Amino acid sequence: MGKASVIPFGPQHPVLPEPLHLDLVVEDETVVDVLPQIGFVHRGLEKLVETRDYNQFIYVAERICGICAMGHSLGYAETVEAFMGVEVPARAEYLRVIWHELSRIHSHLLWLGLAADAFGFESMFMHCWRLRERVLDIFEKTTGGRVILSVVRVGGVNRDIEDSELKAICGVLDGITDEYQQIMDTLLTDMSVKNRTVGVGALTREQALELSMVGPFARASEVAYDVRSFGRGAYGALTDFQPITDAQGDCYARVKVRCEEVLQSIRIIKELSAKIPAGDISVKVKGSPEPGARAANVLEQPRGECYYYAQGNGTKFLERMRMRTPTSQNLAGMVEALKGCDLADVNMVILTIDPCISCTER
Amino acid sequence: MHLSTEFRILAASDVHADAAARKAEGWRYVQMLAVNNEDSVDVVYSYMKDGLLDNAVVEALPRDARLASITDVYLEAFVCENEIHDLFGIPFDGLAIDFLGNFYRLSTESPMTIISPEKLAEQEKQRKLAEKKAKAEAAKTAKAAGEAASATDAKADAAALDAEMEAKLAAMPPEKAAKVRAAMEAKVKKQAEDGRDA
Repeated sequence: MGKASVIPFGPQHPVLPEPLHLDLVVEDETVVDVLPQIGFVHRGLEKLVETRDYNQFIYVAERICGICAMGHSLGYAETVEAFMGVEVPARAEYLRVIWHELSRIHSHLLWLGLAADAFGFESMFMHCWRLRERVLDIFEKTTGGRVILSVVRVGGVNRDIEDSELKAICGVLDGITDEYQQIMDTLLTDMSVKNRTVGVGALTREQALELSMVGPFARASEVAYDVRSFGRGAYGALTDFQPITDAQGDCYARVKVRCEEVLQSIRIIKELSAKIPAGDISVKVKGSPEPGARAANVLEQPRGECYYYAQGNGTKFLERMRMRTPTSQNLAGMVEALKGCDLADVNMVILTIDPCISCTER
Repeated sequence: MHLSTEFRILAASDVHADAAARKAEGWRYVQMLAVNNEDSVDVVYSYMKDGLLDNAVVEALPRDARLASITDVYLEAFVCENEIHDLFGIPFDGLAIDFLGNFYRLSTESPMTIISPEKLAEQEKQRKLAEKKAKAEAAKTAKAAGEAASATDAKADAAALDAEMEAKLAAMPPEKAAKVRAAMEAKVKKQAEDGRDA
C-alpha cells in the first residue's frame, strides 16, 4: 500500500450539477475513506413557515427542488391534510399520482442523460433529454408549467385533465415507450457502459439495510422497499405493484433499476388513466390546524423515500415543517459505496446514486 | 402492507437505549428533527418497520441540554444530528462524524431558535384575539347571571304580593272575597288576551 493522500472532490466538479464536497482518502488510486460535506447552498426554506400560511407554503415546498417539485408539493399537502382531517376527492388522488409518476419519468430521464454524458455517450444524452422534453410538454399542456407545476393544493388539485387529454397522454407515452426501450436496450447491453459500471461501488443487501438506504440505491441492493407499495391514494387502485429490485448492488444495477422504473411509471399512468373516476377535484379546507396537531408522512420521490413532518399551533401558520430528503438518508451509503473503488470511478458511483443536493439543502 | 404512523413520548436519557433496542429489533432509521418552543426544543426520532412509522418525541429539552448521539447505532443519523446542532444548538455526545458546528455555513448561530418578528407579531395577534374572546365570554356569562338573578327577584316579588293579597282576602267576608277574586281573575285573563292580540 502506498502513502495515503487526501484528494478534494467538488464542490465544483464537471460531474456534479450541484455542490457536494468529498474529501477522498486514497492509497494507490484506491479510495479508502471518504468524508462528505454539504451545506454550500442551504436556504433555510423550512423557516418560511413562520411567514407563509399553510396554503401559501405549498408553493415554497415545490420550489425546494426543480426535479422533485411535484413530489414535494404532494408530500407537504398530504401531511397537512392528515392532521386537518381532509378527505381528498378520488379524482384528485388519481391526478396527483399521474403527475407525480410523470415527474418520476422526467427525473429518471434527466439522470439517465447525465449518466450517459458521463460515460462519454453523448448521443444517448441527447436522446434521453429529447424524450424528457416530451414529458415536459405534457406538463405544459396540463398544468401550464414545465418545472414548477403548482397543481397540488391542500384539499385536492387546482386543475383537471379531461379524459380525452388523458388518452392523448397515453398515446405520447406509448411513443416514448418504443423509443425508450431501444435506448434502454442499447445502454444496458453496451460494453463500454458495462465496463464502467459492473462490479463498481457495490453494496450488499445487508449493507443497504444496515445503512437504512432508500430509493433505487437501496432497491439495486435487493431491498424491496418502495413507499408506493403501501398503496395509499390512487396507488391502492393498481392491480399489481412490485418494487423493481436487483441483486448485484453495483453501479450497473442502479442504472438498470432506474431504467426499468421509467417503464413501470408509464404502466402506472396508463392504468390509472383508464380507471380514473369522475367527480370533484378538490374540497374546500377551512380553519387552522389545532395547537399541537402534528402529522408525519412518507412519499416515494424519484430518489427514494422522503419524510415530511408538519405541526400546527392554532394559527394559519405552521409551527414546524420538516422534510428529510432521500439524498440526506443515502449519504452514509454513498460513503460506503465509494470505499474501495478506483479514483476514476468516483464520479460514476456518485452519478448512479443520483444525489439531489438542492433537496437536501432545503 | 399499509402505512400507519404513531407518536410516543421518550425521555432524553433513553434516546440511545431506545435506538439500540430498535436496531436490535430490525427497525430502520428514518430521520431526526427538532421543533423550537419558546424556551425549549422538542426532538423527534423516527423509525420504521413493517409499515409502522414510529415517531419518538423527546419533549421540552432545555436549550442548554445535550443528547447522546445514536450514530454508533445508526451511522446515517450523522446528517440530522449535525443539522440539529447547527440549526437548533443542541450538541450530541459521541457523534461519529462531527462537523463541530461547520455542517452549514451560517451567518447566525442556531437560526431556527430565533423567533422572527413576523411570528412574534402573529403570536401577539393571537394572544390579543384570545384575550378579547375571553373578555366577551366573561361579559356574556356575567350578563346571563344578572338576568337570572333579576328573574329570581321578580318571581320573589310576585310571590310576596300574592301572599299579601291572600292575607287580605282571608280577612274579608267570604262574598266580598269571592267578588274580588273573580275580578282579579278577569283582569289577568284580559291582560293575557291583550298580550296575544298585540
